[in-house]
Amino acid sequence: MARFIARRLLLSLLTLYLLASIVFIIVNVLPNDVGRTILGPFAPQESVDALNERLGTNRPILIRYVESIVGVFTLDFGESFVNGRPVLPQLSEAIVRSAKLAGLALAITIPTAIAAGLYAARRRDRKSDRAIVLLGVTSSSIPEFVTGTILVVVVGVQLGLLPVLANAPRNADALTQIRYLLMPALAMAIVYFGYIARMTRAGTIDVLQSDYTRTATMKGLKTEQVMRRHVLRNALIPTVAVIAVQIGYLFGGIIAVERIFAYPGMGQTMLFAAQRKDIPMLTAGVIIVGIVYMLATLVADLVIAWMNPRIRLDAER
Amino acid sequence: MDFKRLDLVRRSATPIELDVVEAYANGRITRRQFIQRATVIGLSLPAIGAVIAACGPGAASVAPTAAGSAEPGASAPASAPAVTGGTIRCAIQKPVKVDPVSMEDLGGYGIVAQSFEFLCTQQTIGDPGGLAAGLAETWTPNEDGTVWTFKLRQGVKWQNGADFNAADVVATMERLVAAGNSGLKGVLEPGGAVATDDATVTFTLAGGNGNFPYLVSIYNAQTVITPADYVAGTTVDQRPDGTGAWKLVNYDPQVGATFERNPDWWGGQTPLDGTEFLFFDSTGPMITAYQGDQVDAIVQFDVLSGAALFDDPNFTLIATPAALHRQIWMRCDTGQFAQKEVRQALALTFDRPALITQLFKERAELGNDHVIWPGYPYFDDAIPQRTQDIEKAKSLLAGAGVSDLTATLHAGQLQEIPDLATLLKSQAAQAGITLNIEVESLDTFYNAQWCPPGATPPCSGAAELGIVDYGHRATPDVYLNAALKTNGIWNSSQYTSADFDAAFTEFQQAVTVDAQKAACTKIETILNEDVPVGVPYFYNYLAGNSNKFTGVFSSALGQMSFSQTSQVG
Repeated sequence: MARFIARRLLLSLLTLYLLASIVFIIVNVLPNDVGRTILGPFAPQESVDALNERLGTNRPILIRYVESIVGVFTLDFGESFVNGRPVLPQLSEAIVRSAKLAGLALAITIPTAIAAGLYAARRRDRKSDRAIVLLGVTSSSIPEFVTGTILVVVVGVQLGLLPVLANAPRNADALTQIRYLLMPALAMAIVYFGYIARMTRAGTIDVLQSDYTRTATMKGLKTEQVMRRHVLRNALIPTVAVIAVQIGYLFGGIIAVERIFAYPGMGQTMLFAAQRKDIPMLTAGVIIVGIVYMLATLVADLVIAWMNPRIRLDAER
Repeated sequence: MDFKRLDLVRRSATPIELDVVEAYANGRITRRQFIQRATVIGLSLPAIGAVIAACGPGAASVAPTAAGSAEPGASAPASAPAVTGGTIRCAIQKPVKVDPVSMEDLGGYGIVAQSFEFLCTQQTIGDPGGLAAGLAETWTPNEDGTVWTFKLRQGVKWQNGADFNAADVVATMERLVAAGNSGLKGVLEPGGAVATDDATVTFTLAGGNGNFPYLVSIYNAQTVITPADYVAGTTVDQRPDGTGAWKLVNYDPQVGATFERNPDWWGGQTPLDGTEFLFFDSTGPMITAYQGDQVDAIVQFDVLSGAALFDDPNFTLIATPAALHRQIWMRCDTGQFAQKEVRQALALTFDRPALITQLFKERAELGNDHVIWPGYPYFDDAIPQRTQDIEKAKSLLAGAGVSDLTATLHAGQLQEIPDLATLLKSQAAQAGITLNIEVESLDTFYNAQWCPPGATPPCSGAAELGIVDYGHRATPDVYLNAALKTNGIWNSSQYTSADFDAAFTEFQQAVTVDAQKAACTKIETILNEDVPVGVPYFYNYLAGNSNKFTGVFSSALGQMSFSQTSQVG
């Protein structure tokens, strides 16, 4: 297992290096004058040159590349072009906020979707199965911003049950924060419920039809024992892989949801940075979202390897 | 007319003050215009009151305010008694910069103005277009408006306990001049501001300027007075100690800002304990936040997003008539609109009242294809209003030898502009003009269509037809200088007119009411005739607050004042 983890970690570091290189190329190598971009078309050339000098964007590209890669691995992303302050402390609050929102959305989605998928698989082709499948298809085909808007209007404005803004007041306790985050988390959960439930259902049906499940049933194990010991572990492998990808996606920020609920998470922060041409902030945002993707995938790989040792052994071979 | 009372003011007035008093007494300007102009040149409030009383109500009429709003720029007085204490929560656009010297967005203006103050501020009694004493108590020009003397308020302290004095004002002005402040550029040179004593600053200008107090007022948002040792580039959260009513307690660039009462404010104790600003990226969530009772006031919103608030009985709408407008530029130097008659023809297809009804629900004023807003004291309403005349448009096109005019109308994705483009397309079609609409993101639009960078002269790479947005200015200098003067930096129509340039110079140097009005008459006439830009309307600046609060004031530049705000009991 240690060898498996080491290999996966090395692969993640290599992926991070490639991501950092691609981001650097997009930002620095494509035709672009950073000083002119920031100061606008009417700024005197001397001002543009002075800014490029101050920002260091006129230095040899190789030096900047090395600094950029070192910065990624030491989490030093430099200073914001807009306000001149270090990027990471400014981004850290958005990271925490996005983690809270994504965490709550996943906390709602994962248990309900997996339970629904398992339930539907065990009642395949019955009314309850069809109802869950239909609900899943319907919920995942409605975009988050539509669900979010409906929730705001009905639950927030008309019924006044939940706050329409997602960001809780300063120093709010955990329960208050959850109350503020509930609507945006629900908007995201409704979409991903269908996706994960259907994935779970399909995986479970496959496993239920497998020889080893039939054998377990025929040797007299109770249904619950069969499900717990033989079905769940194997049926949830594709679901775990999907959830890993969703973690990165949710963390990266569903910009539409963040905008509707005025929530300054990673999505809004990166959009704001892009609009203001704040390249260090944007770069840091992309890299951090990439790191979250990689960590989520790494954890998913480990969970899958634990669930199915054959995968680990194949990888080690 | 009470001549005895009027003579009392006349005797003590400077030549410029006398000119304004006579203009009002003779009915050449309205009462609203008189108040605006008188406050700008520094006539004291008792003197203004005396003149109005002496001339009587019949001297001139007050210009109408926007339909539906209470007092422009202010929330309506409450019927219930006010109570002290509490906090108001205000929705504001997320600031880009909160560096007083270089900030350039309404969000930044709104936050900085909570803790820092101006020499001259917004008038909160009567017409909000006028000026009131801020850190300067009085200001007076010399005879030709080249030297202005500002007497500073005494006993003012910075929030860190230091005394405010003339050195702070001089240092602030030096920083602004060095940074090329758009309002002061060409008006005030380095060394132009001098501290005569601790309480007096004398400004010697590059030339006569009858509007100078506006340039050091709330209407030139960067001119907030900062301490003498303030360093350009410092943001207010790094050094929050201003002289204003509110002390910054917390600032998160992504979330919002919190202020508490400044107990040592020279203006006395504010009724509210504090204010809380929540930052938003767009107007829609501001409206829902208000409807969901999570904010009490909105610094600015547009008609299309905030239509629901107009009929909300619990919402006090502050609709401030403003110089906010859109310019439909037409290239004068090349392309299909190079002939004046073609430009006039397109302008004749505009159904301006219909545009105002559909896009602004009547919360706008008619534009007449020039940039002199009807609210300016020197606006000349004698220029005939251009109205839709399809037959005349067709005739002009035929006369110009244009039979099948097809052009692309470029527009940025901003507020009502895409809808304006659609309406213009349908109106132009009535005269046989085919407009193909191209709506792009603002960045793309500005850089590719409006004023592509690198071109000489500036904007010579602009598209032949497009719609661009312009914010409120207390004087039209920026519109005239940047968008319309020969080789102006925002001259996307590439308009060149020696007559216009001369009229603009005349306007800049004019000090008296008659001279300013005469120059504006020329400007309006020339632009209306040449039509380098179509200006269909000037729209109201919309802000507002819950009826639970009273005494909220709004400028048309993103600043909202809560120093007189209180909760309604």
